[in-house]
Amino acid sequence: MENYFNISLVFKYLPQLLSRLHITLLIVLSATVIGLFLGVILALFRLYRIPVLNQIAIVYISFMRGTPILVQMFIVYYGLPMLLMKIGININRWDKLYFVIITYGLNAAAFNAEMIRAAIISIPEGQAEAAYSIGMTKLQAFSRIIAPQSVIIILPTLGIALIGLLQDTSLAFTLGILDVMGKVNAIAANTYRSLEGYVSAAIIFFVLSILLEQIFSIVEKKLHIQKI
Amino acid sequence: MGFDISFMIVALKEAIKYIPVTLILAVIPLIIGSIIGTIIAVIRIYNIKVLSKLVQVFVVIIRGIPLVVILYLVYFETTNEFDTIAAKFNWNIHSKDINVIYIAIIAISISAIANISETIRGGLISVGKGQFEAAYSIGLTRSQTLRRIIIPQGLPVILPSLCSNFIGLIKGSSIAYLITVVDIMNGALITATGNYKFLEAYIAAAIVYWALCVCVEKASFIFEKRLSACVKGEVL
Repeated sequence: MENYFNISLVFKYLPQLLSRLHITLLIVLSATVIGLFLGVILALFRLYRIPVLNQIAIVYISFMRGTPILVQMFIVYYGLPMLLMKIGININRWDKLYFVIITYGLNAAAFNAEMIRAAIISIPEGQAEAAYSIGMTKLQAFSRIIAPQSVIIILPTLGIALIGLLQDTSLAFTLGILDVMGKVNAIAANTYRSLEGYVSAAIIFFVLSILLEQIFSIVEKKLHIQKI
Repeated sequence: MGFDISFMIVALKEAIKYIPVTLILAVIPLIIGSIIGTIIAVIRIYNIKVLSKLVQVFVVIIRGIPLVVILYLVYFETTNEFDTIAAKFNWNIHSKDINVIYIAIIAISISAIANISETIRGGLISVGKGQFEAAYSIGLTRSQTLRRIIIPQGLPVILPSLCSNFIGLIKGSSIAYLITVVDIMNGALITATGNYKFLEAYIAAAIVYWALCVCVEKASFIFEKRLSACVKGEVL
């Protein structure tokens, strides 16, 4: 093969891949929202040591952090319809994208829960005690004193988790999702030229990761200035 | 179609057989990553001209690309280009003869090098500049400083994150099934190709992965405790 690597093809494929970028971003965004919401709930279960729920949260987090997301995705894809069928809900006709979003959301929840828990634990106990001593309720102390301080601690780790999530979405194509990676595979199947497609995908993921990193470092700096 | 527990146990037994493959896919990259990662970390800490910038670019680029993309790039690179090179040098090897597991190991190692170098760099930085200066002031050379002062202090910081890197590698190695490596994932799936009971197979694979990761976590916890006791004993 003479023209083994054709750089102009990389630029030809880039716009085609970018046209599927919204799917990748949709997965990342919705999974982050689900993950943060569930993550806060799981973290609270563990922080306040609510019986039974605390143990369930520990097992859930351990499972989600101990198994590959690839396996989780297929378990949700095959298992969720079976589970819901027993209650009488038929989701066999659902778009595959929903399953992917659910999986990534559930996965992110486990990682976020640990992150949030660690951040809240790192706030000294005295802060909560001081809040109680001036007559705040538990909820007030949490929302006005503990939460704002822990957000600043969470932010850098959240940035890293978000970049990890972005990179994990590259596995969604195994379920047949036509996101950036899915498009690369489609191109490779059509043209028998796989290398250029993967190089373009690498460029897209690289630029997105750097972009996310920069955004988070800017936000962090802004927050620190406010704090001081 | 209900859940078939007896089949899940069949898949589980099959998956357990392939634990060594997954461990090879995770341990070899861990070792390669630790060695080259340490070199990269040292280059970056000492800020060696040109080389430091070069490895920094490598680390940033590799960390920005998902493992699957690296895997496919290495896979197609070797399968396509290898034959051309082999023909040029009159080698008697074809890309088809290369075991895919080597390709997977190379791909996972590349990403492991970048990730582990950051872990090690973070650990070495956490030791503090004063330690370097103090070591130089009593006449230690650079390599002596690293061996006797910096690495012993950085190790307790590095090891826990190295263990979480290892867990990440175990989980990351599951994508090797995409290039037809038969690891835990594929071992479980092969049993299901006959009867389409994929859910059972995936759950069996999940259980094996989970058990592996929990074991590594527990081992790391014990190791960490010993180490911190050891370090404290020395200091006090």
